[in-house]
Amino acid sequence: MSENTTPALRLENVSKSFGEFAAVSDLSLTVRRGRVYGLLGPNGAGKTTTIRMIVNIIAPDAGTIELFGRPMGVELMDRLGYLPEERGLYKKMRVGDQLRYFAQLKGMTARAADAAADRWLARLNLSEWKAKKTDELSKGMQQKVQFVATVMHDPDLLILDEVFSGLDPVSREAMITVLEELKSEGRTIIFSTHQMEQAERLCDDICLINRSRKILEGSLREVKRGFGRRAVALRAEGADGALDDPAIVAGVKRLGDHDEVLLGEGADAQELLRRLVARGANVMRFEMIEPSLHDIFLQQVGGDAAPAAGAGGASGAGGDG
Amino acid sequence: MKKLLVIIRREYVSRVRTKAFVVTTVLMPLLIVLSGVLPGLLFSIKTGGATRLAVLDETGRLYEPVRESLLAPRRRDTGDDGRAKAGAIPMRGVTPEQREEQMREVTRALGTRYEIEQVSAAGRPRDEIARELNARVLKGELDGYLVLPPDILESNRAEFYSRNTSDILTREQIEDGVSRAVVEQRMRDANIDRERVRQLSREVEIEAAKVRKSGVERDTGGSFGLAMGIGIFIYAALLLYGQVILQAVVEEKTTRISEVLFSSVNAFQLMMGKLIGVSLVGVTQIAIWGVAFAALAGYGVAAAAASGFDFALPSVPLSFVVYSLLFFLVGFLMYATIFVLVGSMVTSEKEAGQAAMPVILLSVMSVYLIFPVIRSPGSTLAFWISIAPFLSPVTMLVRIVTDTPPFWQIALSLAIGVATTVGLTWVAARIYRTGMLMYGKSASIPEVLRWVRRA
Repeated sequence: MSENTTPALRLENVSKSFGEFAAVSDLSLTVRRGRVYGLLGPNGAGKTTTIRMIVNIIAPDAGTIELFGRPMGVELMDRLGYLPEERGLYKKMRVGDQLRYFAQLKGMTARAADAAADRWLARLNLSEWKAKKTDELSKGMQQKVQFVATVMHDPDLLILDEVFSGLDPVSREAMITVLEELKSEGRTIIFSTHQMEQAERLCDDICLINRSRKILEGSLREVKRGFGRRAVALRAEGADGALDDPAIVAGVKRLGDHDEVLLGEGADAQELLRRLVARGANVMRFEMIEPSLHDIFLQQVGGDAAPAAGAGGASGAGGDG
Repeated sequence: MKKLLVIIRREYVSRVRTKAFVVTTVLMPLLIVLSGVLPGLLFSIKTGGATRLAVLDETGRLYEPVRESLLAPRRRDTGDDGRAKAGAIPMRGVTPEQREEQMREVTRALGTRYEIEQVSAAGRPRDEIARELNARVLKGELDGYLVLPPDILESNRAEFYSRNTSDILTREQIEDGVSRAVVEQRMRDANIDRERVRQLSREVEIEAAKVRKSGVERDTGGSFGLAMGIGIFIYAALLLYGQVILQAVVEEKTTRISEVLFSSVNAFQLMMGKLIGVSLVGVTQIAIWGVAFAALAGYGVAAAAASGFDFALPSVPLSFVVYSLLFFLVGFLMYATIFVLVGSMVTSEKEAGQAAMPVILLSVMSVYLIFPVIRSPGSTLAFWISIAPFLSPVTMLVRIVTDTPPFWQIALSLAIGVATTVGLTWVAARIYRTGMLMYGKSASIPEVLRWVRRA
């Protein structure tokens, strides 16, 4: 396969346990290039452990991990940008020096690093803080600085662990905008979160894991289709006759300004639309109602969401996620 | 490799640029000098004016001699009263006349000046005079008074009354002065020629000389100082920079920076970068101290020579400089690696301090072992402790200074040191990564051993 069609990341049957505790069990997933991939799951599901294995911080007990078609190695490190869940910066170092250092560790020259730092600090409204020491910054600002350190070397693959945690609504919007821009530039982004609203706005593909196992994976669209309550919001005049066939319509709920039509098992919404049109109904609204990611999350993880007791705590390195 | 340089550079620059570095660089030598010199200096300087002393001479003939000997103290009349007191530096290889002159200089500079008055008894009873004098002392008109009883020549006893009897220096000077006056008086009474006694009772001086391959060299006590100095200096440097490394490691661990770093560079580079970077900081600081010390020592010896003090710096052969650097480097890296290990295994600076205790004790031990090595550098004990890892950086250097052992022993000691360091680095590299990414609790020894086997 050519470099451009191999997936950015492929995990095959990856497992990791810490002592008795299985953090990740037999996980396989594929992240295509240029996609935004959401690694979703409740606390303690194994998100962070998975990410740590991807960035080569901990080794899997079993299974293979390939980045850009190759096993992870030193030469691939520069193409990665990793924002860990536990943020950390040198407290006594100036923001500018710090960014230059991290960028140089990713193989940038000092000059290129400075230019990139200026660009990114301006983009996140942090320019005036460049000469300040880190411990003079607020938590949120430190978080943004660390984000800059993650992206400034133009990585092909961005891995962001809980990127939105600790940000105020304004910063969160700004972060989403930046991520959307990065996405439009064709970068591959993997991020973990348990906040479904952000995932829904950003993700092309998702993988939901719970209690160390993958529950579902696929494009957001497919996943939603798979979990649709398969309902149509319908506002039409003269539609009544078309809704009688029980093979297509399982039920009709009359709401204020529209009806909610529950489709029958295996029924095709397009068939319903055709029948409506054929009957000469005046269709003003015909819209598939999709379940929100939030709904899917709750339905799948639901009452099962409580993380296994002592998850990660026993070995420390397991962390949560 | 490029990344290693980047890491070294950061570790170096971020430390050298701090205020703490500048402050320790300037203050450390000052502190050492002050802690050695200051207490003596402070004690020997008597502030305020002259000490006002009244003398009640009940013998009727000792007032003048006592007054004279107090106002012009420390003549080596009898040979046994000239022991260097008052914080003076022992000086050898000087003629008594020179020494006497020097002593007077020192006394003038540091000693007590006296204003002395005679108390006339005028037939009054002793109690009454004492009451009057006590009153004057309490009022502050007098600092003290001296009573020379009539039988002083036989009893060897005089009395000194003062508000402050803990000023040992003044007391000693007075004792000294009175003794001299009394001894001289006794000689006069026995018709003994003072000059002749003085000539006959001159002290013997021992001149120490060190026998080297290159010849014989006079030793004025400098090489003992050098041996001790080198040993203690290396010990201090190991501990100081060991702590710096420990902190650096613990900082990255507690702030979780290590996670980002491990996703950018491999653990070995990271560890070596830290070791080398901090070591260079140490080398820089020591170089600054070294140059400053050499300049000062050169200047100081020249100045001392010009003013008549005789103090020869022991000549330092080039080979010793080379050995010092080698052993320092090996010792430094050996301890630094251990501190890296300790740092990666603990979770907080407080814990790090405790975990580092055994290492610190080890280095303290090497300093205590300097003494037996200096006393018998050729002994079996000295041989073993000077090739033992962790002890050798200090002890072998002391041996080299005191009585240079055969070359093979030095080489063996170095080789063991290097092997230990390499071995430690190997172990550390295996533990570092796992340790640095382990949060929440410190690693136990069995756990660490498992990492070493598995890595």
